[in-house]
Parts: sequence; structure tokens; C-alpha cells
Amino acid sequence: MLVFVGGDGAGGGSSGVSGPPSGSVLKRVGGGALVLGAATIVMVIVASAVGPFNIPISHTVSTLLDLIGIGDSAAKPTERAIIQSIRLPRIFLAFLVGSALGISGGIMQGLFRNSMADPGIIGVSSGGATGAVAAIASGASTVSTLFLPLFAFIGSGVAMAAVFLIASTGGRFSMMTLLLGGIAVGSFLGAITTATIVLTDNLSVQRQIIFWIAGGMDTARWESVRIAAPIIVTGALIAVFVARDLNLLLVGEDEARALGVRVTLVRNTLLVTASLITGAAVAFSGIIAFVGLIVPHVVRLVVGADHRVLLPLSALAGGLFLLIADTAARVVLSPAELRVGILTALIGAPFFIYLLVRNRTRLSI
Amino acid sequence: MTSATSEGSAGAGSASVADGTRPLLRVDELSVVLGGSRAVNSVSLSLDRGVVLGVVGANGSGKTTLLRAIAGLVEPEPGNGGIAIFSSGGIAPISSGRSVAEADGGLGPGSGEPGLERLSQRDRARMIAYMPQQADSHPFSVFEAVLMGRYPHLGRFQLEGAGDRAMAWEAMERTGVTEFADRKIDELSGGERQRVVLARVLVQQADLLLMDEPTAALDLRHQMLTMDLVREEAVGRGAGAIVVMHDLSLAARFCDRLILLNGGRKVADGSPWEVLTPDNLRSAFGVEGLVEPDPVTGRPHVLLLGSESSSQEDRVGSGRRVHLICGAGSGRELMHQLRVAGYTVTAGVLGTGDSDREAADRLGVGYVSAPPFSGITDEQHSEHRELVRAADHVVLLPMAVGVNNLRNLEAVLTAESLMMVEPPDGGKVADFAGGRALELRRELIDRVGQVPESAVLFELARVGRE
Repeated sequence: MLVFVGGDGAGGGSSGVSGPPSGSVLKRVGGGALVLGAATIVMVIVASAVGPFNIPISHTVSTLLDLIGIGDSAAKPTERAIIQSIRLPRIFLAFLVGSALGISGGIMQGLFRNSMADPGIIGVSSGGATGAVAAIASGASTVSTLFLPLFAFIGSGVAMAAVFLIASTGGRFSMMTLLLGGIAVGSFLGAITTATIVLTDNLSVQRQIIFWIAGGMDTARWESVRIAAPIIVTGALIAVFVARDLNLLLVGEDEARALGVRVTLVRNTLLVTASLITGAAVAFSGIIAFVGLIVPHVVRLVVGADHRVLLPLSALAGGLFLLIADTAARVVLSPAELRVGILTALIGAPFFIYLLVRNRTRLSI
Repeated sequence: MTSATSEGSAGAGSASVADGTRPLLRVDELSVVLGGSRAVNSVSLSLDRGVVLGVVGANGSGKTTLLRAIAGLVEPEPGNGGIAIFSSGGIAPISSGRSVAEADGGLGPGSGEPGLERLSQRDRARMIAYMPQQADSHPFSVFEAVLMGRYPHLGRFQLEGAGDRAMAWEAMERTGVTEFADRKIDELSGGERQRVVLARVLVQQADLLLMDEPTAALDLRHQMLTMDLVREEAVGRGAGAIVVMHDLSLAARFCDRLILLNGGRKVADGSPWEVLTPDNLRSAFGVEGLVEPDPVTGRPHVLLLGSESSSQEDRVGSGRRVHLICGAGSGRELMHQLRVAGYTVTAGVLGTGDSDREAADRLGVGYVSAPPFSGITDEQHSEHRELVRAADHVVLLPMAVGVNNLRNLEAVLTAESLMMVEPPDGGKVADFAGGRALELRRELIDRVGQVPESAVLFELARVGRE
């Protein structure tokens, strides 16, 4: 018999640190927010200026400043109208949806201790799609423009509730059952959506459904922003305030409990919050792939795993990313438009593969 | 090293003064049912401030479950049992049942009520720190992980301040993990991780420390350092610690008191000397062992002879009797090995002070006693021949022979089954008997030959089978 003996960590070299590492949570959030915020402002200007009808940057900036009450705009009334009524709502919605997907992706990856988790992991997106399909196929979407998002949101909620019910029936609630339940419910709802597309005779309905599933911001109006913003912003704030408990959950359930976390409450709060903001995003944008998966991932690589930093910055980064993607989607095929969901997948998937190959070892959460 | 004094150290913490004679923790008839069976069965214990209590027992005896129940991680079986903690904040029944509530004159509002919710999880985390058996991997840096120990002390919207960070750093210095501060937990070895978790537990500043095998993955030095830290916490600031341990000698060295669990029940509670007895080792662990004072610390030291995994009858040597002719330490090792293998062992005439005689005393080996440095009397000689006759096999060890013990050698001549052990490393047997000893040995070698000591057990087993 051969036995290896030796002291702990015979390989560990000293890094020569002589005091607690600096860089508090606030500093890190602030630093990240500053960078992302500046980039977002630049992007807002660009997105306001470009499109089928290009507006000079100087006019765009002065219009934007005018809108927030600084100075007078030299822009023509048409330019002003385009910015105010068409491009700005879309910019806001894209940012909101991106933030929602970024932050709920971060939450789900933390809760499931798996960097492959995305916001739709427990069936929320599929539920939203089924709701949207119901609205389109029944003709409800033609009655009021708000019916489509409403049906989609209800669909998300029902799917989430069903998955929760599955996971908590018959003994102990477990994250594994939740995950598998989400996959099962998602597949079931996906089948309904596909069946509707295949079976309908109405070509317009078919086209609308396919468009919705591909995800896009083209329906954005101020009204959408007004409805989506409170849900997403509130959800994001709740998530940021329980981020500390999410950190402990990641360390271990026992440890979390022993350190004062009410595990079940925190977990359910986060699941419901993430699902609701995802539902709100999906309701107005359709299904947008990869944002919720990649954004928290990349942010984690940069700022580390502390969710008090990770979640707010994932929200900002997600918003910025979707704003860029949506602007690109408007421009690349101008005057036609590419669905932004297609674009995010086209950019996102190769980027994700690049990360996988380059950072094999660091992809674990 | 910190010496263990359970009495008198309880006054170290400032809060304990106010608590007077009340224990820090009391557990009354606690039972926990897991998967249909009672993992912990009506266990009661109390713990004073400044005391380190070790929990020992075999795998599956309920140690971890007991600890988890006290930590509030598993629900105790509803009924009479209860857990109460008397912390600096005053009385805090974590979980109360009738017996605790009645005994203390109304610990909480109403007895029989499940009490866990009555104390907020956060308040509990400030009183009780729990160190699990295994540290899962997670994506945080070492410093972040240690800093999490401060969470229960922070308000909902409060961030760690410079003070918290300094505390975390100090704890990391105490457990020797500052050099890993920026590394991720998954990059560390098991022992290093365990020291990170220990630092987090220290940072939590809880009155009650519950530690599940905190030294399991540690090397020898860090086992000592860790247990020293636990003692410092207990003696220095009046904390109480309950530590589940597998290394009985380590437990005996660092714990003021031990409790022994067997099948979920507490079967012994007391000082290490009271708990670690050969009988308890046999009944609770299924091992044959000896408990001796450690030559350095004077604390109980457990020497294992062997396991009872195979029952007495199955062992090679069971029912067989081996007689050793030895002296001055030549037979010590073989004596031990033979006992472990289940042989009944006797030895020849051994004088007082002979190291073989001390070993024989410890191992329950019978021998013929003689005063030191004196010749073997007729009476002793015939007694010895009696033992030789009774033995199934006689083994002659290469001990030095002088006039005093020459008769030991002569007694061998009558043996029926004899085995001679050759001198180690090809050396010679010292003869102080004027050549008579060597002559006798040569005669015996011609008759039976010699075997190396390492082959004796094998040979005995072979002969036994035939």
C-alpha cells in the first residue's frame, strides 16, 4: 500500500498580500455603472440619430437635451417627432428588456448554480410565446395593441405557476425538479405554439407568430415603456436588495441558513422576481435569445461573482447590449429590418463559443 | 498549548457574568427522525461558556444530525425535547418543548409551540456559527467568502465596512489563509478550504460554535492550530464549542468534555478519561483499543489494537494460544500483532521493569512475574513450563540471554511446536551466560531452523491451518 503524506497546499505560492483587499461593493458597482452609463449615453445618441431617416448628430443631441429641458433644439419638427415618438420609446424599451434579461439571467444562474441557466429556464419564455400565440390566433391582438403583451404576460405567469406547482408537489421542493419541470412545461408549450403555426390557414397569423417568436422592438411605444418599466425596475431593485442572500445560497444551503438567510423565502422571491421581469420583457419584445445567458456571464468574468455587484451591472450591460443589437438590427438591412432576436443569436452564439473555448476553466459558476 | 480547564474558564466572557450559572446551551431529550429512523434519540446535554465539548461516535451514530439540529438545520421531532440557548442577548429559546420551558419557568411564550420561528434566522446566526463537514465549491474569492461571516451582523441595506474587512483579514491571519485572499475557492485544496471556512466561522463572532469535523482534511500542524483556535475562542471570549471529531486522541487532547453517541443515543458523557474506555471503544466503535496517558500531555491517548469487524471467532488466532519467550523489548511488537490477530498470548518469565512486561500488562498478556535482575527460581521455572505446555505454539525471540534468564531458554526445550525468530539485520544474540545460551540456540536452530520476525504471523497461520 502506498500512502501520500504531506502538508496542506504544498503548491501554494505566497502572493505577498499584507492587508484586506480594497474595492468595496459600492466602488465596484459605481465604477462599472460609470463606464456602462457613459457607453449607454453615447449609444442613445447614435440610436436616436440613425435609421432609415438619418438625423445629424448635432440635431439629435440638441433635441435630446431639449427633451430633458436643457437648451433649445435647432432640429426640424420632423426630426424631433421621429426622435421623440419613434426612436426614443424603442431605445427605452430595448434597454429595459435587455436589463430585465441580463439581471434575471444573473439570478437564475446563481439560483441554479449553473452558468447555462437563462431567464426562460423555468418555462417563462415558452409560456409568454403561448400567450402571444393565443392573442394572435384568437384575433384578440387586433382588438387592442395591449392585448398581445397582456396575453403573453399571463402566459408567462401561468407557465411559471405550473412549474412551481410541479416542483413543490409530492414531497420536498428541489431545484432539480424545478429545472426538469421547466424543461417539460417549455417543451409542451412549444409544441402548442408549433402546432398553431402549422395548423392555421391564416397566413397573416402564421407570419405574426413567427415574427413575434423571432423577437423585436418594432412595436415599441411610450405606452409599452410605461407598463414595462415599473415591473422591470421594481423587480431589479428587489433582486439587488436580496443579492447578498443569493451570494450565501451559492455557498451552500446549510451555510446560508446558518448565516441567517431565510432560504425558502429568498429563493422563491428571486424565482418569482426573475420570472416576472422576464415575462414583462418577453411580453413586449418576443423571445430574444442569448442576452440573458451571455451578459451575466461576461460581467461575472470581469467583476467576479458577488451578486451585489454582478446583478446591477448585468442589468446595465444587458440594456446596453440590446440597445446596440436593436440599433444594428434597424440599420444592417435598412430600409428593411432584421429581427433583433435573430441578431442576438447570430452574435451571441459565436461569442459564447469563443468564451467556451478560451475560458474553459472559468466558465463554472 | 492551551491547557484544558473546563472549570473556572467560564467567567472569561463579559456576558457570562450576567448569565451566572446558567449554561450557554441546553438540549433536553432531543430526537430527530430522518428517513423514517431516529437518527438522534433523546439526547440531552448542556454546555457552559468557555467549554469545548467533543462529540465522538462511529459513522452514522448521529453526530452530524445532532449538530445540525442544534444549528436549526433539521427539525427536531415534535414532542418533549427542546433546545435552548442562553446567549449574551438574554434567553433565547431556539426551539422549545415542554421540558425546557417548564424547567426554566417559561422560556418562551407557550410550550410545545415550534420555536424556531420565534427567533429570527438572523438573530440565531449571531448566536450560533455552524461549520459544515464539507465546504462546497463556489465562485467567490477567499476574502469574499470569509467576509460573508459578517452578514448576520449587517443591516439589510448595509454593506461591510472597514471594520468588517479588518475582522475578516484578522480571522484569515489566524487560520493562515491570507496568502490565498484573492484566489477562488475551487482553486484551493480541501484542507485550505476548511481553513477558509474556519475563518468565516471566527468572523461570525457567535457565542456557540458548532463544528462538524473541522480537522478532517487538515495536516497535523493545522489540526493543532485549528483546535488551538477553538480553545482560544472558548477560553478567550467565553464562547462554547461543540466539535464533532473522529480522531479520538485529538478530541481527548483538546476537549474539556466528550460525549459518545451510539445509534443516535448518548452512551457516555464526561471527561475524556471517563468516556474513552476500552469498553466504550468496543461497544461504540467495534474496535479493540487501549487508552493510555499521552507521555507529553497526560491526556488520554487511544491505541488501536484492531477491529472487531470480523467477529472474535473469525480471527486467525482465535482459540489458539501462543507463548513468547522474550525480554527487554524483543517481544513487544509481536505481542501486539498476535493480540490484534486474536491469539491468546502468554510470555515467559519477565522481571519487573522489563519493557516487554509493560507491554504484556497493557495488552492483557499473561506471564510469570519475577523481581528485577534476579535469577529464575524453581517455582517460577515450573510455572513457566506450565505455560509452555499449555501453548499451541511457542515462539522464541532473539533476546539477550544472561545467567538470570537462562532458564527461560531451557523451558523451550520441552515445547512441541517451536518457532525461532532470527536476530534482526543478521546480528548475533548476545550471550552473557558463558556460551551456554548460544549452545542451546544452535541446538534449537538445528532442530527447527529460524524465521524472520515478519514471517511469524504467516507461519503461525499456516501451521494453524494444517
